Amino acid sequence: MPEIRVTPLGAGQDVGRSCILVSIAGKNVMLDCGMHMGFNDDRRFPDFSYITQNGRLTDFLDCVIISHFHLDHCGALPYFSEMVGYDGPIYMTHPTQAICPILLEDYRKIAVDKKGEANFFTSQMIKDCMKKVVAVHLHQTVQVDDELEIKAYYAGHVLGAAMFQIKVGSESVVYTGDYNMTPDRHLGAAWIDKCRPNLLITESTYATTIRDSKRCRERDFLKKVHETVERGGKVLIPVFALGRAQELCILLETFWERMNLKVPIYFSTGLTEKANHYYKLFIPWTNQKIRKTFVQRNMFEFKHIKAFDRAFADNPGPMVVFATPGMLHAGQSLQIFRKWAGNEKNMVIMPGYCVQGTVGHKILSGQRKLEMEGRQVVSPDPVLGWQGRGAPPGGNRCPHPVASAAGGQDAGGVHVIQRTRGRQGHHAAGGPGRAGERAAGAWRGQEDGVPEAEDRAGAPGQLLHAGQWRDGDAAHEPQHPRRHLTGTAEAGNGAGAAPRGQEASAPARHPDHEGQRECRDSLWRGETKDGNFRLVSSEQALKELGLAEHQLRFTCRVHLHDTRKEQEMALRVYSHLKSVLKDHCVQHLPDGSVTVESILIQAAAPSEDPGTKVLLVSWTYQDEELGSFLTSLLKKGLPQAPS
Amino acid sequence: MDPECSRLLPALCAVLVDPRQPVADDTCLEKLLDWFKTVTEGESSLVLLQGHPCLVELLSHVLKVQDLSPGVLSFSLRLAGTFAAQENCFQYLQGDSSLFVASAASQLLVHVLALSMRGGAEGHPCLRGDDWPACAQKITDHVEESLCCTATPKVTQALNVLTTTFGRCQSPWTEALWVRLSPRVACLLERDPIPAAHSLVDLLLCVARSPVFSSSDGGLWETLAQALSCLGPTHVGPLALGILKLEHCPQALRTQAFQVLLQPLACVLKATVQAPGPPGLLDRTADDATTVDTLLASKSSCAGLLCRTLAHLEELQPLPQRPPWPQASLLGAAVTVLQLCDGSAAPASSVGSHLCGTLAGCVRVQRAALDFLGTLSEGTGPQELVTQALAVLLECLESPGSSPTVLKKAFQATLQWLLSSPKTPGCSDLGPLIPQFLRELFPVLQKRLCHPCWEVRDSALEFLTQLSRHWGGQADFRCALLASEVPELARQLLQDPESYVRASAVTATGQLSSRGLHAPTSPEYAEARQSLFLELLHILSVDSEGFPRRAVMQVFTEWLRDGHADAAQDTEQFVATVLQAASRDLDWEVRAQGLELALVFLGQTLGPPRTHCPYAVALPEVAPARPLTEALRAFCHVGLFDFAFCALFDCDRPVAQKSCDLLLFLRDKIASYSSLREAGGGPNTASVEAALPRCRTGEHAQPPGDQEPEAVLAMLRSLDLEGLRSTLAESSDHVEKSPQSLLQDMLATGGFLQGDEADCY
Repeated sequence: MPEIRVTPLGAGQDVGRSCILVSIAGKNVMLDCGMHMGFNDDRRFPDFSYITQNGRLTDFLDCVIISHFHLDHCGALPYFSEMVGYDGPIYMTHPTQAICPILLEDYRKIAVDKKGEANFFTSQMIKDCMKKVVAVHLHQTVQVDDELEIKAYYAGHVLGAAMFQIKVGSESVVYTGDYNMTPDRHLGAAWIDKCRPNLLITESTYATTIRDSKRCRERDFLKKVHETVERGGKVLIPVFALGRAQELCILLETFWERMNLKVPIYFSTGLTEKANHYYKLFIPWTNQKIRKTFVQRNMFEFKHIKAFDRAFADNPGPMVVFATPGMLHAGQSLQIFRKWAGNEKNMVIMPGYCVQGTVGHKILSGQRKLEMEGRQVVSPDPVLGWQGRGAPPGGNRCPHPVASAAGGQDAGGVHVIQRTRGRQGHHAAGGPGRAGERAAGAWRGQEDGVPEAEDRAGAPGQLLHAGQWRDGDAAHEPQHPRRHLTGTAEAGNGAGAAPRGQEASAPARHPDHEGQRECRDSLWRGETKDGNFRLVSSEQALKELGLAEHQLRFTCRVHLHDTRKEQEMALRVYSHLKSVLKDHCVQHLPDGSVTVESILIQAAAPSEDPGTKVLLVSWTYQDEELGSFLTSLLKKGLPQAPS
Repeated sequence: MDPECSRLLPALCAVLVDPRQPVADDTCLEKLLDWFKTVTEGESSLVLLQGHPCLVELLSHVLKVQDLSPGVLSFSLRLAGTFAAQENCFQYLQGDSSLFVASAASQLLVHVLALSMRGGAEGHPCLRGDDWPACAQKITDHVEESLCCTATPKVTQALNVLTTTFGRCQSPWTEALWVRLSPRVACLLERDPIPAAHSLVDLLLCVARSPVFSSSDGGLWETLAQALSCLGPTHVGPLALGILKLEHCPQALRTQAFQVLLQPLACVLKATVQAPGPPGLLDRTADDATTVDTLLASKSSCAGLLCRTLAHLEELQPLPQRPPWPQASLLGAAVTVLQLCDGSAAPASSVGSHLCGTLAGCVRVQRAALDFLGTLSEGTGPQELVTQALAVLLECLESPGSSPTVLKKAFQATLQWLLSSPKTPGCSDLGPLIPQFLRELFPVLQKRLCHPCWEVRDSALEFLTQLSRHWGGQADFRCALLASEVPELARQLLQDPESYVRASAVTATGQLSSRGLHAPTSPEYAEARQSLFLELLHILSVDSEGFPRRAVMQVFTEWLRDGHADAAQDTEQFVATVLQAASRDLDWEVRAQGLELALVFLGQTLGPPRTHCPYAVALPEVAPARPLTEALRAFCHVGLFDFAFCALFDCDRPVAQKSCDLLLFLRDKIASYSSLREAGGGPNTASVEAALPRCRTGEHAQPPGDQEPEAVLAMLRSLDLEGLRSTLAESSDHVEKSPQSLLQDMLATGGFLQGDEADCY
């Protein structure tokens, strides 16, 4: 029986240096080759010693696949290819090939800038590394050799991001990298064929985090920015050169246009032009709306966003500045931060993840006093009016929509999401694989006696069998999120090799025919006894299968100053909503919560402050409009006396 | 440990052992461990533990807590190992379901084993093993038991513990350990298939490298010989290479290892040579059925085996202890492999025909063979070998089917062969062989400079630059180059759409121009020769990418240093023009390179920097080229001070550092002019000092060239350059990287994550 072995050489339980070695039937493929921002020594790169200790790795490794251009997925590539000495092919999509060297160059410059590091890869090495790249198209089956083939699928997330299917004979693995389930302002949603991989390796950083509604976060973001510039303050948004920053730019640009604002917005010089260039070049990779409107207006040609010059930082009056790097650990963003942090009118917004050892990390972890260079102590409390917890629209990693309920017929129940205590990393999940229409089912959890996957960079990986993949064209704006996931997780006890290179193996399993059904949006094709297909509605299908539909729920917290008890508070909310929402069904449930259609509101008291109450609001994807409206209504507060 | 960290430590330990408290992440734990390592290097672990009882509590507590995160558990084990390296009495763990924990436990086991042997058997020969301390006895029993086990993971773990032990400990007791366990290890070689072959090879090589075994081998060499004969082709290569790298090893074993290593190439040669080939490779290497099977099994197994073999031989080539080197046969083999790949080989047997089919167009093997061929250039060889190598390289460069990565390797190998080719004795030129080769090479190079792939154009330009750097003065080379269109094509590539290629074209044309080779010397090219400076200057001013601009600055700096005609004609004008463009550049590396150019100019005007080495021979001070005031005026005129003072406050610290060095050099130089030392303090000082803050904000203090030398001197005196230099020497995030900051972050993150969890209702 062929064996699939998974050895994480980085990431696993940690953000950064994503690098997974997969061996399928004797073929060895490296998935991503990222770097870790948190270390200055060798640990900034994945631990390649596991594959280099005996002989050269070019002889061992059949290919490297890079999922997208973010540095935690490609930052170690020049080190790996030029300093460790990998000489084989490196596969990535065309946009990734174009943008990757820019970010690597940016990273190199920052690393050298920060510390004057000498022992670092050079520009020449980046170039030599890029010469080894083979660019691939989406859905193009690439034959790496006679036995190994790979295929890329659209992943959303950032321009050019792809998920990869790796196939050797009848065995296959799907690696998602970071991906987006819903389209955003400039990219579409991830899409993949109905394939039945033996193993799925999926990103799961935010898999256990229920995020605030995107709309809420966006509104919050715009409101904070607007408030700050209105009172004459400056807003600093540290970002990485290319990627999510463009999403924020479109958001601000549109808002400025609508509000007819004149306050200047700047972006680190040179990068806007570059971004603009690449988004134009790879317009088919963006979402449908951008593609459609491109002829009349290029979304990436911003009217309000101008190139930044470092002298502008001292200009009086309000402004918004996007500056690199995103973690406030060197260069321009840090310099501006130091300059502005002393003034309580100003604000910094951290849109991305920051590793320990950076100013950004301190801000995100809510530290009130920052010791800056030169022993200056800044209290960032008023300055950092808006912290990263409810990161602005679309964080920098894959935001998983979260299912609150799931159906399934596996005996052990279904884990759609398994909590990992806010930990981070890739999770391997293996499963029965069969082609085509049988792609359905659910992930079986650890109660099935599934052993743990191991990783080398951190603690043992906890299996996470989560994921919801949309089935449909990436270009469609989804009305209902459709999802299928298949598989039984299996990543077994591997042999512990050297201390810094451990592995997990997942013997490929034959499909377990029972319990494999498919649930499609409107039609269900199932095999009947005589082998014919029936067409039924999705509701009917769900009913027959005894499945409950997955539900997406958004959540939001509303803080109110109120000394009354939670129950009384809930009652007041109920009365208030009842009076305002005359056309809707408002209910006060026995457990004290209030519902309006699918919207659920609960009152809670944070222990530290008796004078504040928190309203926990959650609603389904379908009720997004109403949910947003309700949240904004509640944010205005409750009327003094119950009406 | 500093008091603030001591104060924070108990709270942190409490967070770590509380399973409800999420710990920041493994990065933090890793860094925490780093810090403990540093602390224990400076003070005794015992004192540390006595001073911080919370650490002892942490270590004893983790063994009891049920749901502790594996991250914290493995951290604690490694921490215990760190302490155990100094102090005694720690409990150990092994066999946790998590491999990460198990591997940390294995390391701890090794620590404990080494410690108990050191403590318990001091002064005893301790060779029999029956008088070992109970603790060591227990560990050895456990390892022995695991080696006999049928489950591969257990065997692997036992082998890893042993490898770590023999790698770390070199006391006589390790020999006793090996004597006791080697029969078990040898038994593994008799199993089919051999379990954990990879770890087994590691262990055998690790034992062989240990100095303990230099006198008596304890049956080691027999085991190694046995391993060479029974391991499969995948694992036997690394073992053979490892044996050949050993400094002390029986000759017979060495010979056996080399034969094993050469086997695949011998098979290839045998399958293709028509006549009996050159002696050396085929003599003693009998047909090995397994090797032939591997070569014939599939394309990937064949390619894999050949690539591995070539890579191992490449690694062996430069080693002093390498066996007698069959240069001619190896060269023949490399050429044959390349011919098999491009389809020009003539098979001599059915195996040969099969190989022809398998290797045709195999890029992976082509690359490996070209690398190996390049390495072989370092060996001396007769003229015909060089001819043979160059011919196959030319074929490769010419072949329309060669992929960009193969072409790059072919260029590299060609350069290696050309530069190491034997020169005619007593003659400064390139010998009889090379001119003919160059005449054939340049048309191929021309074609490659027009290749549709940027990778190929770039590799071709890099090759041209290297070649002209080494041979720019050789008449044969100049003649062949100028007769071709290569210089003209290189110049056209200054407009290439790909920025990498533009940058390489800048470097290449800059190099050619330095050697007077960028355009033919005939009069009709006079204009072309003159306009190169302007063309490069244009690139520096307008190119949207950093690489070409940086390349231009490097060329200009080299031109100034070497007295290139364009720079020497009117040096001040040249420097002024270049600095003006460089100082405005958005790329800090261009600005830094601009300062480098300024430093060269300073050195040329005022004399080279003084050596600070106390042992250096004190050379008499070189008289400056011109009087100081005049020199200062020239610096003002070219805008050097404007640039340097603004760069001093650049947000990119390498630029600020470079400027600081430059100004310190200047101040040092000026100090030697005693007449001017006390000058200054005149009416201009105030205005200059007022201008400094404007420099800080990135504005130009004054229009270039307007400053007076006295004002500049005043400015130089008013700056605390030494202070600035030490500030700039620190990393921009040194505060955030401190241990205290780490502890604060971990505590803050714990609290933060707790709050976050409330989100998930």
